[in-house]
Amino acid sequence: MQSKMKESDPILEVENLFASTDNLPILKGVSLTVYPGEIHAIMGRNGCGKSTLSKIIAGHPSYNITNGDIKFSGENINSLEPEERAQSGIFLGFQYPIEIPGVSNLEFLRVSTNARRKFLKKEELDTFDFEELVKEKLELVKMDHAFLTRSVNQGFSGGEKKRNEILQMALLEPKIAILDETDSGLDIDALRIVASGIKKISNAQTGIILITHYQRLLDEIEPNYVHVMADGQIIKTGRSELALELEKKGYEWTDNFIK
Amino acid sequence: MKIIEELKNNKLIDNPTEIQKICLHKLQSNPLPNPKSELWRLSNKSKFSNFLDHSLNKENPKLDIPYPKNPQSTIRLIIGENCQIKLTEENYSIQQLSENELNKYIKEQISFFDQNENWSDLLNLSLNCTKNILGLKINGSKIPPIEIFSHASSNSLNTKTLVIFLEKDCDIELLQVNLGKENSSLSQSTFLCLEENSSINHGVVSYGEIRSNLLNSLNVMQHKNSEYNLGSLHFKFNYARFEIRIRQSAGNAKTNIKGMQITKKDEQISTYTKMDFNGPNGFLNQINKSLADDKSHAIFEGSIIVPKIAQKTDASQLSRNLLLSNLAQIDTKPQLEIIADDVKCKHGATISQLNEEELFYMRTRGITLPEASKLQLSSYFQEIISFIPVSKDRWDLLDKLLNEN
Amino acid sequence: MVNENLVQDVVKEPYKYGFVTDIETEKIAKGLNEDVIRLISLKKEEPKYLLDFRLRAFKKWQKMKEPDWAEIGYKQIDYQDIIYYSAPKQKEKISSLDEVDPKLLETFDKLGIPLTEQKKLTNVAVDAVFDSVSIATTFREELAEHGVIFCSISEAVKNHSDLIEKYLGSVVPASDNYFAALNSAVFSDGSFVYIPKGVTCPMDLSSYFRINSGDSGQFERTLIIAEESSSVSYLEGCTAPMFDTNTLHAAVVELIALDDASIKYSTVQNWYAGDEEGVGGIFNFVTKRGKCLGKRSKISWSQVETGSAITWKYPSCLLLGEESVGEFYSVALTNNLQQADTGTKMIHIGPKTKSTIVSKGISAGNSINSYRGLVKIGTKAKGSRNYSQCDSMLIGDQASANTFPYIKSQQPNSEIEHEASTCRISEDQLFYLQSRGIEFEEAISMMVSGFCRDVFNQLPMEFAAEADKLLALKLEGSVG
Repeated sequence: MQSKMKESDPILEVENLFASTDNLPILKGVSLTVYPGEIHAIMGRNGCGKSTLSKIIAGHPSYNITNGDIKFSGENINSLEPEERAQSGIFLGFQYPIEIPGVSNLEFLRVSTNARRKFLKKEELDTFDFEELVKEKLELVKMDHAFLTRSVNQGFSGGEKKRNEILQMALLEPKIAILDETDSGLDIDALRIVASGIKKISNAQTGIILITHYQRLLDEIEPNYVHVMADGQIIKTGRSELALELEKKGYEWTDNFIK
Repeated sequence: MKIIEELKNNKLIDNPTEIQKICLHKLQSNPLPNPKSELWRLSNKSKFSNFLDHSLNKENPKLDIPYPKNPQSTIRLIIGENCQIKLTEENYSIQQLSENELNKYIKEQISFFDQNENWSDLLNLSLNCTKNILGLKINGSKIPPIEIFSHASSNSLNTKTLVIFLEKDCDIELLQVNLGKENSSLSQSTFLCLEENSSINHGVVSYGEIRSNLLNSLNVMQHKNSEYNLGSLHFKFNYARFEIRIRQSAGNAKTNIKGMQITKKDEQISTYTKMDFNGPNGFLNQINKSLADDKSHAIFEGSIIVPKIAQKTDASQLSRNLLLSNLAQIDTKPQLEIIADDVKCKHGATISQLNEEELFYMRTRGITLPEASKLQLSSYFQEIISFIPVSKDRWDLLDKLLNEN
Repeated sequence: MVNENLVQDVVKEPYKYGFVTDIETEKIAKGLNEDVIRLISLKKEEPKYLLDFRLRAFKKWQKMKEPDWAEIGYKQIDYQDIIYYSAPKQKEKISSLDEVDPKLLETFDKLGIPLTEQKKLTNVAVDAVFDSVSIATTFREELAEHGVIFCSISEAVKNHSDLIEKYLGSVVPASDNYFAALNSAVFSDGSFVYIPKGVTCPMDLSSYFRINSGDSGQFERTLIIAEESSSVSYLEGCTAPMFDTNTLHAAVVELIALDDASIKYSTVQNWYAGDEEGVGGIFNFVTKRGKCLGKRSKISWSQVETGSAITWKYPSCLLLGEESVGEFYSVALTNNLQQADTGTKMIHIGPKTKSTIVSKGISAGNSINSYRGLVKIGTKAKGSRNYSQCDSMLIGDQASANTFPYIKSQQPNSEIEHEASTCRISEDQLFYLQSRGIEFEEAISMMVSGFCRDVFNQLPMEFAAEADKLLALKLEGSVG
């Protein structure tokens, strides 16, 4: 099965990436390739750089790439704006989804969905058609219609915010989704809802990167590869068993691999 | 400062009324505000002097109201044009104050004036003849919304005065619109008196054309159990001052203020508010938002005064400011003066640009930077706009504002 | 309301440092003119540049007007009725502490600042200033080993003239304000600190100011220079006897921090505040300013202001160096007819500069306690931030608490956040503490001290304890 995947071109290639913020180096040579249909997990302690990696792939303006490349569908995207990346199919699920008081969730979802559809040369949806589409996607994450009328993430519980992220993923139909600690702050039921949502959205053409601390999300969604990050680098890569070993032995164990 | 010269030489007013005489007398001894005082220190001197350079408009050309025709239910009045009104309906009555009533009330107001603080009112009342003063007495219930327009014609200084006396248990929606034509100066003074148990939802929308100036002074007296809600919007003036003085005469009243000012190019717009609690159990919730772009200057100064008598006052004031350009500047000074000890008072101020994390979040969802900024600005303003009453919905104010970028 | 009077009683505490030391002093005649300035300069054997500095300042002062803008009311000061130089008579040259008049040592002993070798504080070097002159500085040799200079400013004028000439008046120019000009003309003594490159000062440095004579003004001058990558913590304490006249204290403090240097300046001000009717007390009109000249330099002011009839001071930071940091932590307690108008100015000039302001005002009696602060972010201060928090506590319904923050920004890529609130000690809180067996006075003192916690945490250990004690003293009813 693995070899079959590799016949197609990679979706995302991160090549020897160095990045810093405020002159402080955060990433120190990260390489990672994701092919269609693959699920990668990135694990590591707080501060190891895994969240930063996700933000840099999404184009956060506070970080500078000092060396290396990020390629998406074979094209270098180092200098693309965040919205250009999103429109072309990169999705970042935030660890802490931002609250935007006053901006209605429905309006926000519609504008972003249409931006992606426009890129895909699909017809943009009017309010009426969009409502239909949203209704269907709401089912995936078991969210109530009432969420749409509230301000973006404002006053949402931790679980509601994460489900709202998956709803956005469902609407935007990305080629690659990077989910930053989507499991954190979720109780077991919410975790199942989120995990089943992710599984339904992904398919043989999409890639997924799960950034997580814990095994429990990986129990729901089995990764093809597990990478362990420390001090801005990927220090070990393995199959899903690596995550189990890590869970058993703790992160101290990985300190042995730091070069 | 042509007007001031003429005023000093007594050349301006031919047959001054009693009120004009009193105010002229006060002004002649001390014709200009103290430029070093807190109220005037940041005021742009050349813009201020430009305000006073126009000659006084004694005519009153007809105003084409650039707004959708009002529905039947709304009462629309234009100061200086159709001030004749006498409505006596089953539930309510709206009538003009008699000259005596008006004089008595204005004289009483003048006795409270501070030369510097009320300079704008002194100027207004000195220059204003009877036909540009609208005085109303309102009572009853189920009163239709009222719209009142003041406007300044090009190349002249125009003065308009509005006095509203709201009787007991009465509540109204009042929208006041101040329009400045190209190259004009408008002096608008408003006096509102809220009797016991009355309430006003007051909207003030002021906007001008190129090189227009505005001195907008609002004096509100609130008696017991009254509620005063103000939503205001000032934009597109080369120079504008909005001065608000509210006094809760015996406390036990509610005041909500939500104001907004937008400056672009090299405009200067300032808002001054003074909230005086003269009795216990007063309530104030105020938020003032400004946005400064290009080379403009936005100013907010708010003061809350809580004397010993005003126990159990609950007052909060927030000044939020967006600074969008390297050449623009923002000054803000919310202040508290408190003697009573059993009070809840707080204020806050922030100056920043648009929230970068919010922008990034929207951009990762494919929304372009200009769109994301627009969404953010519209949410920033929505809180204020939604507080302006009456027919504002017909105007699409917000869209208009945001699309003029 | 039941407890209001009790609270009032609790804050009435007699001043403990009101004694006068009976000592022979050398004073010059009252009044101020060029000759007086020449005489001061002559007595201190000053070089010509310093005399010129004084005379220029005097000329400027004569042209200036006493400020009247603050919410402060006081009787006009007669500047010709003040003695501008007063010094305890001593032997001409003192080579060791043993030669200091025992009465002076006893005075400082009584104030809790023992100076003698046997008793001196073990971890703080002290410069003791009595009226117009510095009496003694402890631990000088130990400091000298590290290259740290800590001496009176008169001595620095003699021994480190180059540093004085370079830095004196470089942060607070003589023309800055009325009282700074007066100080520049007539300053008598004060402390001088120089921390060389790369040195972390091995102990806290401290100056203790004591006004003894009733009719002389005190005009001390402090200058602290921290060279690259050095750091120092400096403490300042003040007391004065009780007189029924007002004494003018117009000091100037200048701090300079170069690249990566940090200066922490803490003050516990307990000048005599006047009696309950507002008779007597010190007029404390002080100009304190620090210049963060270097990159990543840091100046931190913390103050506990409990004394003086009138306090009028705004310890400020000019943030010039990239990524420099300014901090201001203040507790001001006013009672009876005291007036305090205090706060800070944070002037952000360089990029990525940061400032923090935490101010706690407690007003009791008929006092007026105002916070007045300026935060300004200039056009070049890209990426700068300020956070200010100003809280007031009112005790009784006669005291007033004012907050006047002036906020100005000219740089869109920056953030300013200001918050202010008022509160009082609620009966519920008191009752809760009392129901747990805590005495009423203890409860008040606990709550006031809790209210000030954020500031006390910033004070050096020794000082924090002193400050807590000082507030407790002011708030304790029965302690005699």
